[in-house]
Amino acid sequence: MPAEPSLISLDQWTARREELIADGLQEPVYGGALARHADASDKRLRQFHFDNSAAALRLWNFLLTEEDRLRVARASGQMLVGAMKDLGTVPVMAYSLPNIVAFYPDGAWWIPCLTEHTDQVIRLAEAAGFGEAFCPVRAMFGAFVAGSRFPLPDLLVCSTGATCDDFASLGDALEHLGHHICWWEIPHRHSRGETIVLPGGNRVSRAAVAFVREELMRVRAELSSLAGHPLNDEELTSGINAANRVRRHLRALRDVVFSSDPAPLPALEVLIAEMLAIHFCSEREESDVVLLGLLAEACERARAGVGPIENGAARVFWINPVADLRVMNLLEECGGRLCGSDFMFCHALDEIPEDLEPMEALARMALSDPMVGSTEERAARVCAEARRYRAEGLVVSRVPGASHCAYEGSIIRKAVERSLGIPVLEIEVPAVCDAVMPSLATRLEALIEVIRHRRTG
Amino acid sequence: MITAGVDAGSRMIKVALWDTEEQMLVGSAWCDQGVHQVQLAGKLLDDLLRRLGLTRNDCARTVATGYGRNIIDFSDSAVTEITCHAVGVQHLAPRARTIVEIGGQDSKVIWLDDSGVVQDFAMNDRCAAGTGRFLELAADKVSIGLHELEAAARKSAKPAVISSMCVVFAETEIIGLLASGVCPEDIVAGVQSSIASRVFSMAGGRVRDEVVFTGGVALVSGMTQAISQAFGHPVQLCEDPRMSGALGAALIAARQASL
Repeated sequence: MPAEPSLISLDQWTARREELIADGLQEPVYGGALARHADASDKRLRQFHFDNSAAALRLWNFLLTEEDRLRVARASGQMLVGAMKDLGTVPVMAYSLPNIVAFYPDGAWWIPCLTEHTDQVIRLAEAAGFGEAFCPVRAMFGAFVAGSRFPLPDLLVCSTGATCDDFASLGDALEHLGHHICWWEIPHRHSRGETIVLPGGNRVSRAAVAFVREELMRVRAELSSLAGHPLNDEELTSGINAANRVRRHLRALRDVVFSSDPAPLPALEVLIAEMLAIHFCSEREESDVVLLGLLAEACERARAGVGPIENGAARVFWINPVADLRVMNLLEECGGRLCGSDFMFCHALDEIPEDLEPMEALARMALSDPMVGSTEERAARVCAEARRYRAEGLVVSRVPGASHCAYEGSIIRKAVERSLGIPVLEIEVPAVCDAVMPSLATRLEALIEVIRHRRTG
Repeated sequence: MITAGVDAGSRMIKVALWDTEEQMLVGSAWCDQGVHQVQLAGKLLDDLLRRLGLTRNDCARTVATGYGRNIIDFSDSAVTEITCHAVGVQHLAPRARTIVEIGGQDSKVIWLDDSGVVQDFAMNDRCAAGTGRFLELAADKVSIGLHELEAAARKSAKPAVISSMCVVFAETEIIGLLASGVCPEDIVAGVQSSIASRVFSMAGGRVRDEVVFTGGVALVSGMTQAISQAFGHPVQLCEDPRMSGALGAALIAARQASL
């Protein structure tokens, strides 16, 4: 911990990195100056404030070099699998096989933000009929058409059913463009008939688990065929163990960040770190190394009682990922700090059961997805986590065009008010929110003012 | 001790001065918002102080609010207009539990708890269809002054239905209504009702007695009745609604100065 924790700009990172190197920092192969990513295409990085630790530098470089890793993997003869609308199931299987690299094409929904709309992905999606009424993940369709943001995968796997109608439409359109998709269906989570308890505590009918298991068996067969190697249970169990290591480290990281005062890491880095749990950023072992680096930094700062956010900042629980990452900085600029999150894949933070037959375990995990259950169930988990991390306020961040955002806010609000009695703020965050920043700031600041007033009575 | 509140809103700048010994508002002023808003706000404050025989040195503390609050460089601190309106209205109407505030380019509903502290709030986030801007545009299109709107709305026999979700499309809709022979009075009544129902919808139907209406649009005749009708509740018009934010800022400045 060579410097006081602080938030720094992209330009400041250039000098900071030189300091770290002078102090002996050894960078991985994907290391380098963060500013190069902004120079290449990701202009919005210039608007962000970053944590100044070496661990954060590694996290950002790891995230922003994923495309390079995929191209290297393709060039070296590895097979690429695009795991779409999948929050932590298919990648676990894919990484259990040799010679396969899985990635998350859905992540393209941040391209319009990072490029500040200078990329053509949204225009291409709109030209195909995916207008503003669609979730920002329509950018993924544009990315496939443009073919410039990631190498086209050898196999696409996509869940459908209870997950997301917008996504099913996008997948359908991709199939019409000639991309073969291995679809697997996931039903709405219900607890009729004989039920079992899922990781995370929700109940589901045993028949639904059996159905999803069969669906995932088809995916397993396709992945095996692509790899030219039948995936056996021993390999899958080993893959589950490796995925659980990542999840354990992420949970430990969340625990120390959300529990400590001041927050040892800022909200933006926590959001990026959480994303690693669902797709490993195309390299499972390295994603674990990145998380361990962040965890070590967070623990050291927590022990020292220091952090980049002021002590006493209002403790805010955040729901849903933001289309414009800049808003995570805004929370802190307004006097808040992240003390809990449900970025729509909180089930991928739970460990996959290791005491079950591996396909049964994966099926149960898939059915734990908050998107396939009721909002009331999601709200119950949110309340439990918000209580655990002593949240003083909660933000429901709507994703423009995402169908679930139209109704979930009021359900979550009511549950939180009933269960915790803390203020809830609903906001909507577009991909580039510069135009609405003053209005967003006013609402976030007002939430913080309410929280502070409640503290003093 | 004198404290000042400066409300740098989207359409107007308002200044209020509070005397902490006398516990009273000793002066207020407003002017149109402009390009050089810091200078405008500073001049407005200086002119008001001068009229009272005071200077900025007599001002113990200044709090800025409104959308321009963070650029008012002569203020000691900035507080959101949500908190300031709540404090201002609570001072003027201590039994207020629901505050409807409609300004030039935004609208808010603020709920207070039994001790008058902000419990929750809602604010328009994507369009100006529930704000004063809509009313201005409509008044302009039907060539009726803002002060004549109540009289016009009262003459309406059949308020027009304005269905557009956006001010720009609503303008087209109003032109179409005029072309099809709908009288200006019915259009005015329709626009007032449309603004009121948008604000009610934003409130999610949550109403706690007493409901107080404030903000610049509350000065527009006919709007209080429209809000009351949409909320299905009696609505009290705030005393000097244009100034409630600035007054709240001055009161907060007084609290801060006493710490």
